[in-house]
Amino acid sequence: MAEVLVELGVAFTALAVAGALAARLNQSVIPAYILAGVVVGPNPPRTLGPVDLTLVSRSQMLDVGAELGVVLLLFFLGLEFSPDRLLARPTRLLGVGATDFLVNFGVGAALAALFGFPLLTALFFASIVYISSSAVVTKSLVERGWIADPESDVILGTLVFEDLLIAVVLAVLTAVALGGGGVAAVLASVGTAAAFLLALAAVAVYGTSYVERLLSVEADELFLLFAVGVTTLVAGGALSLGVSEAVAAFFVGIAFGRTDHAERLESVVGPTRDLFAAVFFFTIGLSTDVTTFLDVGALLAVAVVATGLSKVASGLLGGRFYGLNRRRSLRVGVGLVPRGEFSLVIASLATAAGATLPRTEELASFTVGYVLVMSVVGTVAMRYVDSLTAFGGGE
Amino acid sequence: MTVYETDLPGVGRKFEYEIDGDDRLVVLIHHDGRREVFRRPSAEADSEKLFELSDRQAREFGTLLEGAYFQPVDLERVQVPLGEEIIEWHEVGPDSSAVGRSLADSNVRHETGTSVLAVQRADETVGNPPPEFELSAGDVVVALGTRAEHRTLSDLLSD
Repeated sequence: MAEVLVELGVAFTALAVAGALAARLNQSVIPAYILAGVVVGPNPPRTLGPVDLTLVSRSQMLDVGAELGVVLLLFFLGLEFSPDRLLARPTRLLGVGATDFLVNFGVGAALAALFGFPLLTALFFASIVYISSSAVVTKSLVERGWIADPESDVILGTLVFEDLLIAVVLAVLTAVALGGGGVAAVLASVGTAAAFLLALAAVAVYGTSYVERLLSVEADELFLLFAVGVTTLVAGGALSLGVSEAVAAFFVGIAFGRTDHAERLESVVGPTRDLFAAVFFFTIGLSTDVTTFLDVGALLAVAVVATGLSKVASGLLGGRFYGLNRRRSLRVGVGLVPRGEFSLVIASLATAAGATLPRTEELASFTVGYVLVMSVVGTVAMRYVDSLTAFGGGE
Repeated sequence: MTVYETDLPGVGRKFEYEIDGDDRLVVLIHHDGRREVFRRPSAEADSEKLFELSDRQAREFGTLLEGAYFQPVDLERVQVPLGEEIIEWHEVGPDSSAVGRSLADSNVRHETGTSVLAVQRADETVGNPPPEFELSAGDVVVALGTRAEHRTLSDLLSD
């Protein structure tokens, strides 16, 4: 017992120190959490001079925490998902979202083909490089003050569109991956997933009053337990049927977000999500061997440049759809460069389906390296984008 | 006056308030209750952050803006009630028959029933003016009386 407790203590303390360092350097906490896991984990670096750095092994305890982190991340994604936003200016947003998808998913698929990934793995790869990080992007928008300007509407609208699309893509991909074997098995698996998610969606749309009553409890602790309990139960049930637990949690989030409890959920469940999401990033760091970055070095270098530029390009186009000037459109593009939590979630789902999916280990280590680079490069680029515009000739 | 409201998923709500033309105040209400206030002078300019308040501070500051603590007075009609009688301020018009005459000559006291408490001329005030005090155009007469008496005085001083 003592050993487990000490390991957990080391894990949380390492996270706290890494988070504080990230805040000091004005960086996102996500890469910091991953690096904390890399440092104290069983992979190199193993020593710092005479000090042994292998302090935390990947225990079941942490794995469960990480799984909860994934579920809660997606739950919040659903909670903050606003169909009103999607329906406010459907044609414009559809144009922006479709451009974003076609350009970036397309570039991802092309890269995967170029590096010889088989089809299913290639689709996971394309999803990983397609989806921007809601957490990093939103936080940077607030920090830079862009949040008060029109470009934030386009950026946040694009994120909403991406979230919905990735839920669909994930549902299909995991169903196919978990279905494994032949065509019949895959079809059965996709059918199960579709039925389960449709049922969830129906509850989300028509069962608002029931969900409302379920959550109508006075005490915050009961409220928290109910919310986390229902979400985890549905996610677990989904997984046992071969449906992505992350997508199930996303739908539960949508159902909860339609009630009057949405804001209370954000404030009460938020800290729990932060805790387990940190464990999720930490666990990714634990299982990451940085020396494998060298094996995927070429892919990493090409992907960073190509997908960075493709986001800028699609953002420029999207900003033009909204009638923004060149400077604001460029901000839209650069603002969407950071990739983070969802790329990691997709990679972990791919790993979970590992047996049927070729080259997942390569995919996993690529994703960690990619997110580390993109989250940092993206936020730094947001800082300097205006000087770039000035250099390129003003408005 | 137009207010534009936008939902910002994961952040909160944004309100844009038109001051005039393109000049807008942008109020950002975060989920945790923090308020950030920006100003965007024109559509193409960047919003400049003016200040940030906690939820509690914002509510208190908001009541200040609403004028809940201090109601600015409409200086056109100042009245101080004293039972039946009230104190009012009257400006002496250029065409008034009282201009150039002393208070005794105009017979203000008996004609109107009000008592003149003070006369303000430019930025000096003559308190309790003697009967021989001469009024000139632009003076402000501070008088005590009933509403009816004040109407009579107002007529005397404005014509």
